[in-house]
Amino acid sequence: MSDNEVVMKVENLNKFFPMKKSVFSRAKHFLHAVDDINFEIKKGKVLSLVGESGCGKTTTGKTLLKLYEPTSGKITFLGKDVTYIQSSEDRKWFHSRTQMIFQDPFESLNPRKTIFDIVAEPMNIQNFGTLRKRELMVMEILKRVGISPPDAFLWRYPHELSGGQRQRVAIARALVMKPEFVVADEPTSMLDVSIRTQVMKLMMELIKEMNMSFLYITHDLAVARYMADEIIVMYLGRIVEHADSEELINNPFHPYTKALISAVPVPDPEFKRKSVEIKGGIGKPIDPLPRCRFYDRCPFAMEICAQKEPELIEVGKNHKVACFLYNQERR
Amino acid sequence: MRPILELRNLKMYYDTQAGQVKAADDVSFVLNEGESIGLVGESGCGKTSISMSIMRLLPENARIISGNIFFDGKDMVKLSNDEMNKIRWAGIAMIFQAAMNSLNPVYRVGDQIIEAITTHEPNVTFEEARQRVASLYKLVGLDPERMDNYPHEYSGGMKQRAVIAMSLACNPKLIIADEPTTALDVIVQDTILRELEKIQRKLNMSMIYISHDIAVIAEVASRIAIMYAGKIVEMSDSVTIFKRPAHPYTVGLMSSFPSIRGEKKELVTIPGEPPNLLNAPDHCRFAPRCPFATDECWKHMPSYAEVESNHFVACFHPQNLKKRVSANV
Repeated sequence: MSDNEVVMKVENLNKFFPMKKSVFSRAKHFLHAVDDINFEIKKGKVLSLVGESGCGKTTTGKTLLKLYEPTSGKITFLGKDVTYIQSSEDRKWFHSRTQMIFQDPFESLNPRKTIFDIVAEPMNIQNFGTLRKRELMVMEILKRVGISPPDAFLWRYPHELSGGQRQRVAIARALVMKPEFVVADEPTSMLDVSIRTQVMKLMMELIKEMNMSFLYITHDLAVARYMADEIIVMYLGRIVEHADSEELINNPFHPYTKALISAVPVPDPEFKRKSVEIKGGIGKPIDPLPRCRFYDRCPFAMEICAQKEPELIEVGKNHKVACFLYNQERR
Repeated sequence: MRPILELRNLKMYYDTQAGQVKAADDVSFVLNEGESIGLVGESGCGKTSISMSIMRLLPENARIISGNIFFDGKDMVKLSNDEMNKIRWAGIAMIFQAAMNSLNPVYRVGDQIIEAITTHEPNVTFEEARQRVASLYKLVGLDPERMDNYPHEYSGGMKQRAVIAMSLACNPKLIIADEPTTALDVIVQDTILRELEKIQRKLNMSMIYISHDIAVIAEVASRIAIMYAGKIVEMSDSVTIFKRPAHPYTVGLMSSFPSIRGEKKELVTIPGEPPNLLNAPDHCRFAPRCPFATDECWKHMPSYAEVESNHFVACFHPQNLKKRVSANV
């Protein structure tokens, strides 16, 4: 497997949720949680999805892992079309190579299961190896994620562990089958500062070691900068900007990205931030009009922004923006 | 400057079946009029316990063992519950953690604030209270017409503004904001923080901000207290805390925060986890995680002392001091 191989490729992905009044009525309105999204993740790379709550980042992650069925679009995993998986063989193939790490380690671990059962579960489901082999693999991965000595923890229950240890167990469970692709949904946002850095560093090491591809979902641009090679900024289901992380942080184009960056508090009392120019809060993309979704809040909104939706166009090397401010000559 | 609130050697313990939890252990600080201080620490370090002790909103198993809390010259520890009721909201108001849940969903938001006013000031008529709420709404940046809406018709940021308006309802001298923006998105957080700062300056109020996020505190507080395992380990003005942190825990905190400004720096981790406050040890509580720990740290508790002017540290080996002084001699 070459290092430049595309592990996960997403083309024109849509996920709409019907807004039904009752179970039996037909949906007249749709919430466009993910709207026409394209990206790809190469082997061993980390892509971060950043945005405010309700922008569709979690829905994107869950749709990629087939926890939601996509409304339309195409998902290609390791060169194979997995948009609609039909056979159970394909399903097994797909799910043994992809995993998810959830936000809240207090809710994602079954309180009635021991640590061993939790971490061994993916192998049980996949019928992988003998019990002895599973035990060895669980021990190995627990040690690797810093739960040591592992045999002291194997028969304990999640409530006996601290938040940081639980998230380590959740990471161990996701990585025990050595997946090719992992979606991590805000894995550190519930953890304390000193623990958060430990877990971030651990994940970075493991990504390098196992040469995994990661989709890292976060609302925190500073965390995304540390974890990811590339960052995608989402707004109401749409990608507004996509660039290499340092480029995006240091040279943002889209007014929304600029606002997001200037809104992050700086741990330096002498630093005076520029005030954020945009007003109001994020709405809901229910039956959105064919115009820029940021139109209502944008300080630079023009006539054209209300007439059609901006497309994602290249403005620099590996740097794409969906904003009419930057494609005037092309419109 | 006149001190408005002073905590002197406050000890607040919880009695649990497993033993005593020393949630606030020997905590002292002074807050002056018109000043804002920030309490920073990880979860379970006792930040909220301190604010609950000040408001005396403690659960049954909590006890203030010793120490004093002076508010406006009066020792609140000695006050009866009825006397405390007069101070709550009229003297000290609070913005609670998860403010969105502190509004009652079945009452109109405006009416809830009116209720707070008429309870504490019985002479105020309903119409006067309504007038006051309208002006409070303007102050916090809400449309007064939204007074008659229910909480579910508000967005997260609007609820937060309403809760801030409610805390201001009886012109308190001191507001304690416990994680006021934790559940909000960055852009909303930014506007709320600026609003709070503006109001504080305009009304010359004293504020205590409580947060786990050192960056948020850096923006709003003029002095910062760093808490670790039930104790204040360092306190100074915010510039000193950030430029020359003295306690090894503060030093670690500063470099473990990812920043989006400047060069991308390598993150430094603090090894280990915060201790359990159940039957906490008598030696320095940070010793197990401290890179500078010596035998002394494992034997004694460092005292909380002024190592430079206006710079208090509880450590045997303070770092980054201008002049090398040995603390605790």
